Amino acid sequence: MKRAVIVFIVAIIVLATTGLWIYSSSGNFKPFDLLTFGIIILVVAFAVFIGIKRLTSAKRGEPAEDELSKKVLLKTAAWSYYISLYLWVAMLFIKDRVNLDTEEIIGAGILGMAISWVICWLVFHFIGVRNE
Amino acid sequence: MNNRIKEYRARFNLTQDDLAKKVNVRRETIVFLEKNKYNPSLKLAHDIAAVFDSPIEAVFIFD
Repeated sequence: MKRAVIVFIVAIIVLATTGLWIYSSSGNFKPFDLLTFGIIILVVAFAVFIGIKRLTSAKRGEPAEDELSKKVLLKTAAWSYYISLYLWVAMLFIKDRVNLDTEEIIGAGILGMAISWVICWLVFHFIGVRNE
Repeated sequence: MNNRIKEYRARFNLTQDDLAKKVNVRRETIVFLEKNKYNPSLKLAHDIAAVFDSPIEAVFIFD
């Protein structure tokens, strides 16, 4: 229950910060900013999905985590780390060929890591983890 | 590794939710176990077998 509440609080903080960022930029959006905004919304939506899942589990009297969910998290962490290494190599390759600021490249890399984590989690959550 | 959890569950008239609560795991874990998409730890296998009052090798079939 506590963790679900923490997830909701973090999601609200991220949304509030994004809102402040939009307000301060006063409509001067580049296409890259819109992409970043879209990805932030996706990540927040995923966090809210996890929070709702945890709340429903708590209401049903199920544990928030069990051995399968821990294994899913472990495998997700391992795979997303592996993917991130290739992502950063790709970013190093791209940075000399596109006209982007260092901040934008680092931001894109971090968002890429977040997306790879979400995708890995969804795959292992729905396919399952065989310990063979 | 295969298992006969679904068969035992029907015999003991338990839902997936009931079994999950008895062995303190999430219902999804029971779903994955029944579909043979997850091999449980020795402790979980022992707990499930204990719920059905049967030895582990009767519930879980090792290939």
